[in-house]
Amino acid sequence: MTSSGTAPEGREISNDSRARIARLSDTLNVAIERLERARPFAKLRFQRAVLDVTARLLQTDDGLDVIREQATRMDAAGIFAGSDWDRPEALLPQLVGGTLVSEDPVFVALEAVSLARFLAVANGEGRHENLHKDMARHFLTQVMALNLKDIFGQSDEASRALGDRQAVKRRLLNYISDHIGLTDVLGVLVTEIWRLLEQRSVQVAVAKDMIAQIAIALNEKGTEPGSERLGAERLVSALFGPTVASLYDPGVEAYLDQISHFDEAALSREAMGFARAMHDTGLVSDYHAAFLVWALDYGDRPLVPEALGLGTTGLDCWRHYRRLIEDLIRTAVTPATPQAAYGLTMLLERGVLHHAPMVPALNRALQQKVQGAARERLMLGFGEAVPPETHLLAGILQVIGQPLGVGQGANPTCQSARAISMWALIEPDFLLHLITQASEFDAVLMQFEGVPINSSDLPAGLAGLGPIDADPVSVLLVSHLDRIYAEMGRLCIGREGDPHRWINPQFHGWWVSRDCAVAVDVATGKLSHYDRFLRRFFATYHPHHNGDRPVSHPQPAGIAVTDPNEHFVGWHAIAILRVSEDQAGVMRVYFYNPNNDSGQDWGGGVVVSTSGNGERYGEGSLEFGQFLSRVYLFHDDPLRSTGAADDVPEEALAPIHAQAVSSWAADRLPEVEG
Amino acid sequence: MTEKNPDKGYVAILGWSLNAINAVDQFDRRYVVVAPPWAQDYCVQNDIPFVPWDFDRLNERSYELAQQLKEMGVDVAIPIFEETVEWAGAINAVLLDQPRLLGQAMLFRDKSLMKRRAQLGGIRVGVFEEAHDRGDVIRFLKRVNQTLLKLDGDVNDPIHFKAFDKSGTAGHRVIRTPEDVDNIPDDEFPALLESHLDGWEFAVEAWIKNGKIQFLNISEYVTLGYSVFVPATPELEQHRARITEQIEKLIETFEIDFGFIHPEYFLTSDNTLYFGEVAYRPPGFNALELIERAYGFNGYQGLVVAFDPKTTQEELDAFFPTPIKDAKGHAGCFGVYPRRRVVSRLEIPEETANHPYFEFHELADPREQKVAKRSAFGTHWGLAYFFGEDAHQLRDLLKRQEELDYYI
Repeated sequence: MTSSGTAPEGREISNDSRARIARLSDTLNVAIERLERARPFAKLRFQRAVLDVTARLLQTDDGLDVIREQATRMDAAGIFAGSDWDRPEALLPQLVGGTLVSEDPVFVALEAVSLARFLAVANGEGRHENLHKDMARHFLTQVMALNLKDIFGQSDEASRALGDRQAVKRRLLNYISDHIGLTDVLGVLVTEIWRLLEQRSVQVAVAKDMIAQIAIALNEKGTEPGSERLGAERLVSALFGPTVASLYDPGVEAYLDQISHFDEAALSREAMGFARAMHDTGLVSDYHAAFLVWALDYGDRPLVPEALGLGTTGLDCWRHYRRLIEDLIRTAVTPATPQAAYGLTMLLERGVLHHAPMVPALNRALQQKVQGAARERLMLGFGEAVPPETHLLAGILQVIGQPLGVGQGANPTCQSARAISMWALIEPDFLLHLITQASEFDAVLMQFEGVPINSSDLPAGLAGLGPIDADPVSVLLVSHLDRIYAEMGRLCIGREGDPHRWINPQFHGWWVSRDCAVAVDVATGKLSHYDRFLRRFFATYHPHHNGDRPVSHPQPAGIAVTDPNEHFVGWHAIAILRVSEDQAGVMRVYFYNPNNDSGQDWGGGVVVSTSGNGERYGEGSLEFGQFLSRVYLFHDDPLRSTGAADDVPEEALAPIHAQAVSSWAADRLPEVEG
Repeated sequence: MTEKNPDKGYVAILGWSLNAINAVDQFDRRYVVVAPPWAQDYCVQNDIPFVPWDFDRLNERSYELAQQLKEMGVDVAIPIFEETVEWAGAINAVLLDQPRLLGQAMLFRDKSLMKRRAQLGGIRVGVFEEAHDRGDVIRFLKRVNQTLLKLDGDVNDPIHFKAFDKSGTAGHRVIRTPEDVDNIPDDEFPALLESHLDGWEFAVEAWIKNGKIQFLNISEYVTLGYSVFVPATPELEQHRARITEQIEKLIETFEIDFGFIHPEYFLTSDNTLYFGEVAYRPPGFNALELIERAYGFNGYQGLVVAFDPKTTQEELDAFFPTPIKDAKGHAGCFGVYPRRRVVSRLEIPEETANHPYFEFHELADPREQKVAKRSAFGTHWGLAYFFGEDAHQLRDLLKRQEELDYYI
């Protein structure tokens, strides 16, 4: 070889850089040897030097080869001894991305060696007693999927601010993707996106972002054809080219120009293509939004119902309230708010426009101005491409159209998110009333047992001045609701027992049952009369024990959330929506979780399902007993005799009791079981 | 644990040093660690043979410990820290039935006695005196400078202040003015005062058996308290024969039969060697690690062979390499001290990171943003390690580090 060689990508490697890597490689060898010799108790002392050299190799283009070649040896030498990384089988792929941009280069190096070890095992170059080849591959695939945007060089403000650290992360991820291929990654990502989309969240920015990454991946890197590619293309086309005329993502201008020459049949085909893609994914393409607005002025025939893919209820609403619906599209569906189209569609399908106050209330919302601090918060959260009123109206359509799609964002405000969702579900006119109050007066009025409460008089609550990472309705309302909820709590101070007994009916509405069962003694936190608690739940909700009485209104309930290892995480507010048998005849509780992703693993086999077991969009579900094992608070009617509870057989309770005690209630056993 | 040889000695390691334990655990001698009780759990968890002991001031209980070790079959005790040197003396006096070993250890522990003994043995030392309070220090400072015919207002020649029983650079202060004297904390008295010798300061590590030097290393200081490297430059190594002679004199004067010494010397411009002080324990600044990097043998294991009464000459000859000739290169380290008053993070200077001699560092991210004012030597924030072929290049590189910011 002459003075310089050429890397696979055609990059020149200078002799200088080659010499540098060779030298670092030698030094790494010295450091690894010391680590290898060290006794288990002295590993820590010699890890740092290895990681220090590794960190410097990471700064070079070809240093990754050295790290990969040495990864298995470093692992065996004890580079991970005494850290979480020593148990690769327990590592979480979602933490890798953060560690790779850690401020401390030692952590970056540690994660890099760990990934290199996974890579070696995945490719069969190395072995690890606790790590199977497939597991290693799966782990890396998940890491890639979760960090896809860093593989394709798209940078945003946050990543730019990271500078060099971001460059190291990108280089490493690219290296891994070069070595394991992207097909797997796409598969995992596509599955994940579908899982999220099936929950029909109001907020789809993350899903859209991931699909955009996939589009770039398919375009730039290509993959082998296969089912992964098919699933990926289905997502990409739904967003970037769902119809014949938009197939090659021509740009909105060109698209509109093109369809202006179409005949009716072709336009109808466009409309149906959009509708199909939207109902398939819950996502609205920018072309779709543009088409809808264009179709409003198309006089020959109404294309809107077709483009929304309306069913019988929706069509009925369209016929009755066409003017209102056209106004809503004209005002709420913009390039910045395409998802309003899906919200509107679902709102029409729910038939809520037939509820007398709804048409005038929506007409009011069309003209509503947002004032004061609320206005600033909306602009902060959604930008200024369109006025905050447009975002709010789009948000209204989405929240009422997809009530179970409301999420709390990264805020400790599950109670408020749950309230918005429940109102949207059963009292959308009341929700619109609150929105009007908050928009116009920057205040929300409620009362607690006759005591008036004005949110603007109250100090900031858990969410501070309110979230800006949620949907527009939440951004507007949560800060008020949060404060009112807290105030109601203050008004309960001094009362015995759990305050939710009084707060929930007052805060949410008459339809929350007035009695309340709590699994734990509020003062001690220990389980109290737990079997009695379980029996009451059966008698209230289980169709076989409550006279086959369905749940008519969502009922707030408290859940003890546990992690995949069954460790207690915290108390969480959910709403019980219905209890019925799934297609396999298993009795399930279907519920709403204000958390952004309901599909959670609560450990001990309790894995919340979001589709495939009879769930409607946005519902989570668990088998009745599994669900009950995590309940710590629910509402019950005080008038009902409790005799029914005695019918519940002991055998039904024992496994539930055991599941609770092996998880969240592990350290809550009373001195003497009551 | 490495397979142990029952025909070899059984050693007690006095003091808690993970590096020492790690090295000895890999060696073929049976061993036991004698360290404060807080190390108990750790030793149990890691199968480290352990005897809990509080090394406070040497007291009458040393005999109790010696008896306990004797009953266990221990042959010899090896001190790891300055504080355990007298304990080792007391214990070895019992184990080896050589009562004078206790007295010898006391010489190593008291800098003033040490100096007088050296002087009596005909070893050349600088002017020194004991100080019991600040008044003594002022007097010494004045007298030294009068001797040098300085006038009032002239800049004083510095004197050195060394707390009696502190090791290495801890408690070592350079005194130039009466203000410096005010800054000395009470607990550093009594102390040894020495005149300043302008010259080349270096240290020697010598492993001794049967009163003979088995291996002699010269550690060259680039700047005291900052950096050191081994083997020394050819310019210093050319004095090896004379230095060896000096060490032999030291062995004779202090009646050292076995073990390890770590003396410091000055080579003045008129080519005279002045003795500074000597310690009967491994040096600080991870010098043994540097020696291992350069020569490939583990210094702690070297301690074991030098102390163990059952070691044979053949084993010694096989264990130690030939000085200079067998060195694979020069290994050095630099003690990093933040140069700025306020620092936020660690960043290895680019020219250091890119230098072929730079190996790795053991520096931590700063926990405190404000840097405490440096009062004495020996408060570096961690070490950076270097290794390379050329002694001069290494020396200059280490010197250069003093001008670079590792913490910014």
